Amino acid sequence: MKWISTILFVALILLVAISWHDRKPAVHSISFTVPKGWPQPVYDFKSNPITEEGFQLGRKLFYDGRLSKDGNFACASCHQQFAAFATYDHELSHGNNNSFTRRNAPALFNLAWQPEFMWDGGINHLDAQPLAPITDTNEMAETIGNVISKLKADTGYRRMFKAAFGDETINTQRMTKAISQFVVMLVSNNSKYDRVKRGEDSFNLPQRLGYQIFQKKCIGCHTEPLFTDYSYRNIGLPEDDFLHDKGRMKITSKSSDSLKFKVPSLRNVALSFPYSHDGRFYTLLDVMEFYRHSNPAGASVDSSVKHGIPLSNFEIGQLTAFMKSLTDSAFINNPRFAPPGFETRMPAAQPDIHKSN
Amino acid sequence: MVLSGATFAQHSISIKFENYAGTELLHVQQTYINGAGEQFTVRNFRYYISNIVLKNKLQSETHEGYFLIDQSDDASKEIILQTNLDSVSAIQFLLGVDSLRNVTGVQTGALDPAMDMYWTWNTGYVMAKLEGSSTGANTPRHIFSYHVGGYKEGEQTTRNIKLSFNTVDFVRPKKIIYISADILKWFDGKNKISIAATPLCHEPGKLAVMLADNYAAMFSMQKE
Ligand code: HEC
Ligand code: HEC
Repeated sequence: MKWISTILFVALILLVAISWHDRKPAVHSISFTVPKGWPQPVYDFKSNPITEEGFQLGRKLFYDGRLSKDGNFACASCHQQFAAFATYDHELSHGNNNSFTRRNAPALFNLAWQPEFMWDGGINHLDAQPLAPITDTNEMAETIGNVISKLKADTGYRRMFKAAFGDETINTQRMTKAISQFVVMLVSNNSKYDRVKRGEDSFNLPQRLGYQIFQKKCIGCHTEPLFTDYSYRNIGLPEDDFLHDKGRMKITSKSSDSLKFKVPSLRNVALSFPYSHDGRFYTLLDVMEFYRHSNPAGASVDSSVKHGIPLSNFEIGQLTAFMKSLTDSAFINNPRFAPPGFETRMPAAQPDIHKSN
Repeated sequence: MVLSGATFAQHSISIKFENYAGTELLHVQQTYINGAGEQFTVRNFRYYISNIVLKNKLQSETHEGYFLIDQSDDASKEIILQTNLDSVSAIQFLLGVDSLRNVTGVQTGALDPAMDMYWTWNTGYVMAKLEGSSTGANTPRHIFSYHVGGYKEGEQTTRNIKLSFNTVDFVRPKKIIYISADILKWFDGKNKISIAATPLCHEPGKLAVMLADNYAAMFSMQKE
């Protein structure tokens, strides 16, 4: 009799072990919160549900130089958190083999609301975005196939892909979905402006006056709450005679799109200098000086700025004060967006996001 | 899958693509002459096939899936499908990748951007690629390079291909459909294309559409 119960016992243990092994690893989903009063995001979360595991994988990829040919150029080398994920103090960013990028690296945040990417809108989906810098010879100069091989060879990555996607398969789609899970969570909505809007704070006098001027002269393009309407406009910047960048026309081949560039968000603008698609302006003052003196020629120039934007010195001062209220220090200091492992070096305890699950 | 009329047990059918330059089987690095009288060699020839529909007089059957036919990879030239049709008298397919797959992020399998049939800076698939060299091409190493793509209105480069056997039905025991693709049609069709005049096509637009109008006529069903 005894041997029967022993066999049964062993069988039971085996069964438990097998079902334990086959069990899909649990993922911890993260819900994406739309700030009050903001439009619905355009990113398709259904086909890429955000999880803590996917987010952490995307974060590791974003900070990993192995995505570039020589190992030096992680996404984060051009998109730096303290500059709201723009390149701090560089007109054009540095890429592989001492090259320059052809354009100024934009700040990265609120990407879930952005319908198209790059200054010319050439990229139609956030997931497809990383493929451009990875393969561009002026940026990371790698091939997609090589990057995937490097990831496959790394046990740490295999574990993380399994945790995020259920098995160890590593392919372009999974890599780019993971990167999206990280960058789509870069939501910036805690500037002083946001707090004022929520009734938690109030503007000082210059900021309040600046906000009034801004609503009169700027929101036609830099529309609240995202501070861009994501359209492409020619504000009359003369074409650079070395770069010959035609902007949106490169994508549409329409001469009516010549020299049009995506309206950049002005959130965190005090941090993301230099400004404009080729970084030709060093300060906000330079941008304002351009707007007020500009008298551009050219058929595609936006009708609202055909004669520039009249601005007095006083108005420039107030506008600048207002634009500085768009800086979100909680965002640039958020340890979740810092290089992997950063939280464990932080003195303050972080809330355990696994708890709610 | 749309079925009407009698159904038969599933069996496999093979579609074999054979690439030609005129009447000769295409060989890499062999010299050919196009309609403009230009001598050229081919280094690389690839195209996407999708949305295959098999037909006979009574029935029609749609097969999902994307296939990349690559001159340098013989295995890629054979597509095996499971069918319920006992005979096939016509075949339809899309040359290229439908718009939806161009706008919904990153895909897998034959559509993985790592296949090198994808534009990263202006999102979209290269539907077909023909690359080689010709002394008339005023480019480094005299290369010519046609990467034909574009899915937006006015720039569409996918083409619906319809081929049929005129007289006899394809009968069941043979189970192979041979389709030939003639690269000379790229130069000589609805539009006359000269390598010397236009050696490069690397973006959606007018030249890409002209090449697409030409390659729309490159396929034929082979008689055995
Ligand atoms: C060598 C510097 C460099 C590297 C490395 C780099 N980027 Fe960028 N990034 C840029 C530049 C420059 C642009 C703008 C390019 C343009 O508009 O043509 C840009 C644009 C973007 C945009 C579009 C933003 C917008 O507002 O349209 C996103 C998203 C982005 N990068 C994410 C990434 C990710 C993810 C990686 C890593 C896979 C990465 N970048 C690596 C320089 C870089
Ligand atoms: C007609 C639309 C339009 C109006 C009106 C407009 N802008 Fe802009 N703004 C743009 C575009 C487009 C760019 C990017 C231009 C480029 O780089 O080629 C831009 C760039 C900027 C930049 C640089 C941001 C960066 O990250 O590079 C600042 C700052 C700015 N605008 C502030 C303002 C202010 C302040 C006003 C009102 C006084 C204003 N803009 C009115 C369209 C507009």
